[in-house]
Amino acid sequence: MLRGAQSLAVAPSPSGARGVTSDLSVDEALLLHAAGWEPLDLVCGVAVVSVPVGVWNWGSGAISLASDAHNSAVDEAARQLRGECSEAHGHGVVGVRVEVAVNPHHIDVELVGTAVRPVDAGGGRRGNDAAQAMPFVSDLSARDFTLLERAGWMPVGLAFGASFVYAPRRTAGTAMRQSTQNVELTNYTEAMYSARESAMEKMQHSALQAGGQGVVEVKVTEGPMAFARHAVGFTAWGTAVRLVAREHRFVRPEVVLPLDDAVVMFEAESLRGRNEGGGTR
Amino acid sequence: MSADGTDLPEAAVRRLESTAFSSGLTVPDFAACLELGLQPVALVQGFCVMQWGWYGPGAGFMRGMSPYVGGPQSAGAYSETYRCPHVSISAEHRAWGQNLEQPWVESAWAQGYGTAYSRMLEEATAHGAHGVVGVVDRVSNVAESGTTEFHFLGTAVVVDGGPPPLGGAPWTTYLAGQRLTKSIEAGFMPVAVVAALASVRVWAYCMTEYCMEGTLGWGVPAGPQLVEQVSRAHMAVRQLARKHVRAQLAGDELHGARIDVVARQLSQGDEVVDCTLRGNRVRRFKDFDPIPSPRPTVRLS
Repeated sequence: MLRGAQSLAVAPSPSGARGVTSDLSVDEALLLHAAGWEPLDLVCGVAVVSVPVGVWNWGSGAISLASDAHNSAVDEAARQLRGECSEAHGHGVVGVRVEVAVNPHHIDVELVGTAVRPVDAGGGRRGNDAAQAMPFVSDLSARDFTLLERAGWMPVGLAFGASFVYAPRRTAGTAMRQSTQNVELTNYTEAMYSARESAMEKMQHSALQAGGQGVVEVKVTEGPMAFARHAVGFTAWGTAVRLVAREHRFVRPEVVLPLDDAVVMFEAESLRGRNEGGGTR
Repeated sequence: MSADGTDLPEAAVRRLESTAFSSGLTVPDFAACLELGLQPVALVQGFCVMQWGWYGPGAGFMRGMSPYVGGPQSAGAYSETYRCPHVSISAEHRAWGQNLEQPWVESAWAQGYGTAYSRMLEEATAHGAHGVVGVVDRVSNVAESGTTEFHFLGTAVVVDGGPPPLGGAPWTTYLAGQRLTKSIEAGFMPVAVVAALASVRVWAYCMTEYCMEGTLGWGVPAGPQLVEQVSRAHMAVRQLARKHVRAQLAGDELHGARIDVVARQLSQGDEVVDCTLRGNRVRRFKDFDPIPSPRPTVRLS
């Protein structure tokens, strides 16, 4: 601490260096450094894509135009994010925060993360140009990124899939017949099932397109649109990963038994009969 | 304000003259600060309430009805103009559109933020503090009065046996306790909390209006379209915020950055996009000393 305080008591030496900016926590920054990576710059990608008129009107089956709008917004935002990362001479972006807003007439996608590169990549190291030309994008935390790298895998990009579907309608006669029955609504089941599968299929397809072998940390969201309750949206996204080592490296974690657990074996209160369930909790 | 000529309220002067210290730190953070060699001396704060003046010199309302004359863009601010691709236009048709940085909004925000910050520093300096840790800043609207309050709160500390910072102004950081300890152990000394607001006004032109309102406009291709004007405004506002913050770094680093964006739809594709970026400005004072490679573990609890 003293050394740090002394450094602020004197004028800093003039530096033409472009300061690092990062949204990583202290822990994440330390962990990345330990794994041989350093942060470079806070980078963003944003895209707003229109949804044509009439798309949310009543219909049946998949709402493909909305899915297309969603996918093209994600692709454009990711392209901008990679562009900013390349400008910062980064090899990839970690900890990407994904914000997607589906509005009646437009879909907004925002990606924010920190561009990183290997610590020894400052000079003209071989492979730098290739890595900077096609940086990876990942929503994994620095901890997960480090663990993945240790196992011999690397992220290649964000894999996204979206599917929107009209909630199917029953005929009036069917609805009346079923009103007093406990029955499966097969048209609902089929529509939702197929929409979920479609979103995941698109996500896997985008992972393959990015050169990935699989997707980790998949997040799935679903629910009716706030502005059109008869339409249901499903999205699935995660980080596409590829094995870069010759084979998967087993991390082999140590099993630890913490001795500081909070189980109380005996409570003085129990002597007074307040804790009749015994002395443990 | 107090009778001794400082900018502090009299109650603040009386409180700061008290011999008891106060601190906004949690007990673990308090203990970590003591362990680090930091002695809390006082809970310090700064306020500023600003009114937004929309009609001042350089404001958007002063630029007239044409995008091609005057306005803040002529002073080097960001602006992009979009021209209508149609030939025949009516009086209601939006023949042009513009993305326009609003420097008057940005400077008003910076003034409010900077004033509240300097008042907090003034309190800390009055206590002979070397730094302020655990800073919390809040920007909020005061009721419905069209005003904004900037509020800073933090714990002033003295470094045991340490020299005062150059120029006497205490260093500041959002961090406290174990996070601050780890940052300093890693070789990063806090310099200041930094923040900036960037604001961009979108004046939609016809094509943007059609896309954002979902109408079948003349010349709008079928299918989903990238709304270029709005997308570029959103990218620009984020880039401007980073540029403003970078201008405050002077070669130092920004850690723990947080970016917040608020878009207010005004009408028919018009919107105001505000982006706030804040973080800890830190200075490296020793070479990086990597922590040992962590061992993966599985807990049995």
